Amino acid sequence: MKQKILIVPCSGIGKSYGSVAREAAYRVTEDLCPEKTKLVPLALLVLGGEEARSELGEAKAITIDGCKHACAAKVVAESGGTVANAVDVPEVFRRHRHLKPSGIAELDENGKKLAQVLAEEIRELVGSAVGEDRHA
Amino acid sequence: MSEEMLKVTVDKFIFLVPAGRFYSDAGVWVKPEDHRARLGLSDFAQQSNGDVAFVRVRPMGTKLERGDEFAEIETVKVNVSFPSPVRGTIVEVNRSLMDAPELINQEPDGKGWLAVVELSEAEDALSHLLDAQAYLAIVKGQAEAEMKR
Amino acid sequence: MPSERTAMPELPKRKVGIIACSGEEIAEGTVTRLAALRVLESLRPHETVTICLPLFLAGGEGDRAFARFHPTIAVDGCEKRCAARGTEMYSGKPAVSIVVNGDRSKDSSLLGTARRLTEVGMQVVDDVAGQIVRHVDQLLDLKRGRQTGPPTAGLEILQERAPRQAACSCGSGIPVATLQVAGREVTLLALPLIFAEFHEAGKLPDESVRNELMQAVKIYNSIPDADEAAYAHAVIQEYVAFCRENH
Repeated sequence: MKQKILIVPCSGIGKSYGSVAREAAYRVTEDLCPEKTKLVPLALLVLGGEEARSELGEAKAITIDGCKHACAAKVVAESGGTVANAVDVPEVFRRHRHLKPSGIAELDENGKKLAQVLAEEIRELVGSAVGEDRHA
Repeated sequence: MSEEMLKVTVDKFIFLVPAGRFYSDAGVWVKPEDHRARLGLSDFAQQSNGDVAFVRVRPMGTKLERGDEFAEIETVKVNVSFPSPVRGTIVEVNRSLMDAPELINQEPDGKGWLAVVELSEAEDALSHLLDAQAYLAIVKGQAEAEMKR
Repeated sequence: MPSERTAMPELPKRKVGIIACSGEEIAEGTVTRLAALRVLESLRPHETVTICLPLFLAGGEGDRAFARFHPTIAVDGCEKRCAARGTEMYSGKPAVSIVVNGDRSKDSSLLGTARRLTEVGMQVVDDVAGQIVRHVDQLLDLKRGRQTGPPTAGLEILQERAPRQAACSCGSGIPVATLQVAGREVTLLALPLIFAEFHEAGKLPDESVRNELMQAVKIYNSIPDADEAAYAHAVIQEYVAFCRENH
């Protein structure tokens, strides 16, 4: 069975971008490319022991971070994982300025649309990552 | 070269204030450089406004009076414009911010600077500004007021 | 690396840090997130602070320092207890550890999915938010200074939080003092700050100020009732020395 691409959102609780990252991760792993991706909770990589970290093993990860702290990218790298792409939600927002998100517990319509745009960009990244594996 | 930093903690937030600079109460720092002054946003200003998505700085050659808007940032939370704390002419603008506005959040006291102004006033150009200790007190008060909201 | 000079901090208002696991794999993880946000945004906005778990784990200095000084409530979606264990690893054992549906009294599938909670799931959010609020109120009860009340099903109340070491360099900025109390060494949080405030207010180091001093000490430190007299004696002696040095 082909190795899935791991999707690691930050799910930060302090800002809308964290919820956008979380929602985008669900859209990628449940709607857009469920057969090629798997969502991995960030906390488990730090606290889940060897079993959780072994997921990182040979798999590639796409991290989704909601702010400059880049917690998901940092944790995946420090846990021995390979960050194929580190996606920054604010950077995606800059390219879609009309989709300013708000709400953390419940994203507003702009937030949901931004999550969808983000998810579709990640789908492309997944395609590239899988394509690279195929040619490796 | 290392710069001495003052620090204040409110709840879980830590705010740094370089000791050797001057400040406006709007959160703009001023670093004297001979007859010029480099301007930027304080750590407190960037933290309280949020992640900067867009920044606009008045172009080179712009003549400023004290209080004239010289920069504007847009974050997910707010659009905020900042008044110039000095009188002079903008001679340099930080072009890195066009592609990387996040520098204002990542290094507000360093690479996130906004503009350099050639000062008009020969003497006492900065005497009206706050020193680091005075600004630190304002930061503490404003941060505590924010927490109570 | 720039040097940092910390001005002598004032005594901070005590708040409670809420750390939710926000686990993405199960509905209970989403419950923790929504319950924490309800408390932070609506129910106790001035008494609580959110600790962002990913930032906490990735090295957030402010969050870790906050959790060293202030009491914390960890809210987890499963027995892996990532929020509770992460807090203990980097700051200190949380004062309270909640595991949503920990006794499995509800069929997990009734709560919905991690992405979308059902009405039952939203009711559990209400319940958990209510539990958090009760513990926030207990933790901040300054008169009693300790938790009371029976444990709630599915909720584990950890041992009462012992005084924490919080040297200035840790980031919290809160100094400590070590005293001899009844023949043993005891560390008291925020004691130098309390002395500084009292001294500045012109309060003389005599028996009349003893009760007031101990009230202030008990805000930041857990003092066993049986030992209070011994602590009070040591504290007043220390204050005498402080006033002499700062005369």
